[in-house]
Amino acid sequence: MTLKEDETMKRVRWIVLGLVVMAFVVGCASKPEKEINDAKAAMDAVIKEGLAKFAPEDEKKLKDAMGAVDAELKVQEGKTFKSFDKTKQLLADLSKMAADMKAALPAKKEKAKADATAALEAAKAALGEAKKMLAKAPKGKGTAADIEALRGDVKGAEDMLPEVQGMIEKEDYSAAMTKANAIKDKAAGVGDQVMKALEKVKAPAKK
Amino acid sequence: MTRTVLALAIFFLSLCGCTTEEPVPPEVKLAETQEFNLWRAGAPLYLQESFSRYRDELDKAKNGLVQVNSRFSWFRDYQPVQAEFAKVLKQGDELFRLLEIEKQNKALSVREQMTDLRERLQHLDQCSRMTNENRACRSSLTKAEVILNEARILYGGQQYQASEEKLKDVETHLATAERFITPVLSRYGDKSQIRKWKKWAEETIDESADREIHSVVVVKADRKLYLYKDGDLIKTYPVGLGRSGWSDKQRARDNATPEGRYRIIGKNSRTPYHRALLINYPNEDDREEFHRAKQKGLLPRTAGIGGSIEIHGGGNKGMTYGCISLANNHIEELYTFLTVGTPIAIVGALDRQNKLSSALTEIQNGRRKKKTP
Repeated sequence: MTLKEDETMKRVRWIVLGLVVMAFVVGCASKPEKEINDAKAAMDAVIKEGLAKFAPEDEKKLKDAMGAVDAELKVQEGKTFKSFDKTKQLLADLSKMAADMKAALPAKKEKAKADATAALEAAKAALGEAKKMLAKAPKGKGTAADIEALRGDVKGAEDMLPEVQGMIEKEDYSAAMTKANAIKDKAAGVGDQVMKALEKVKAPAKK
Repeated sequence: MTRTVLALAIFFLSLCGCTTEEPVPPEVKLAETQEFNLWRAGAPLYLQESFSRYRDELDKAKNGLVQVNSRFSWFRDYQPVQAEFAKVLKQGDELFRLLEIEKQNKALSVREQMTDLRERLQHLDQCSRMTNENRACRSSLTKAEVILNEARILYGGQQYQASEEKLKDVETHLATAERFITPVLSRYGDKSQIRKWKKWAEETIDESADREIHSVVVVKADRKLYLYKDGDLIKTYPVGLGRSGWSDKQRARDNATPEGRYRIIGKNSRTPYHRALLINYPNEDDREEFHRAKQKGLLPRTAGIGGSIEIHGGGNKGMTYGCISLANNHIEELYTFLTVGTPIAIVGALDRQNKLSSALTEIQNGRRKKKTP
């Protein structure tokens, strides 16, 4: 073996060693189990807090992001030389997204609760107003039957208020707000009818 | 030797390069966005099956992409995957089109249902006021109206499915209200009942003619009192009835006005109701009916038959406990005309074409309309 051949052999050894090390490093990249578990835990935590109820689009985005992670994992698992860098990045993004959503959720819940409670109060106030008008309404000729019917209506609408309260307690704020507004509309309708009844009574007096 | 080593190195490096990111077709991102937008637009609600099929196709395309991306970069061919995603996009566009149609149809259908139910509600409200059916019936009507308002609010927010769900509850409450009102009204469209009422009225008028005296026929459906002399109608007065005046009196405190052939058995000028003419309720027929109803268990064992039914003043607009009320000047006239023994018939209607039977027909038409899609 000449000196030149000896030099060449040395280079070859170094190159082969380098390739072996590279292959070892690349081929042995393992699935980022910890990151996966952390991301899943973050996602589950925010879903458990009621994400679907208060921010359904956020929940969908989160699930889609998890779907992208799964697809990337499948890609890497199908490869001989795996790299989970992208997977890790996706998982980190997902965890951050979940954490951000969780942080924003209480404010959304509070707003929804405040809106529903305000709607309930407005419904109560409208019913109170209708009752005041009914109390003032003349119970004489032509109005007695109507007034009594309207009084029954106000009572019926009032009986529905605990349902709204129950919905608020169950954090079903959207349904509570819809029902409260519907009760308020009914109360306003009673008020209008009392006014009409009053006009009916007043009309002949003007002649 | 060096060349071999270099070739080997290049091969290894290219293998390692397989892990680097390859540009994926733009259709992939477009399809993902499309799927999100379809979901947001409500495809899972309105086109459940079609959307599910679309999702399956999308998943298939995504799996194809995974397989391609798993290959060495030398062997990657995105064309079939691109074609798959393009197919999914086309399917998604079609779904958007169908979704719009479906939503428009649903909106139209819900609006029509709401209009029908609103009409039924208004009609039942009128019937309830007409019959003074103000308790359980009105409670059902109030519930129906509040839920109908909810449906309207949801409809305004384009939540047509949720709105339609609410309408089912409206339907239930209206049906309950109808159950309370229908028995009151149905008698007024019943042929045999009308025949019986007509017979009582004719006998009373005939007696007036035969004995050349006054007689009175009260027709509840008309809310009128007809005064006869020698068999001829001489005067008509508007009257008020009991709170449950459209029904026949069955027992004490039912606030119904009795039906049958009666006579004036007393006159009272010192009454809070200006003037009063007491009638002989309960008569023999009423007593028999009362005992039969009790035996059948239709009335509580402790129920009494009631009494003190009068034709009195105080105004014809208010509701009584079962008496027949008139304006004070009208009772004044009657008081002078009528004597103890004057025959009186109190009947529901003399013709099947009366406002209560018409109201019943309208309720039945409303139900029929509901059944016909």
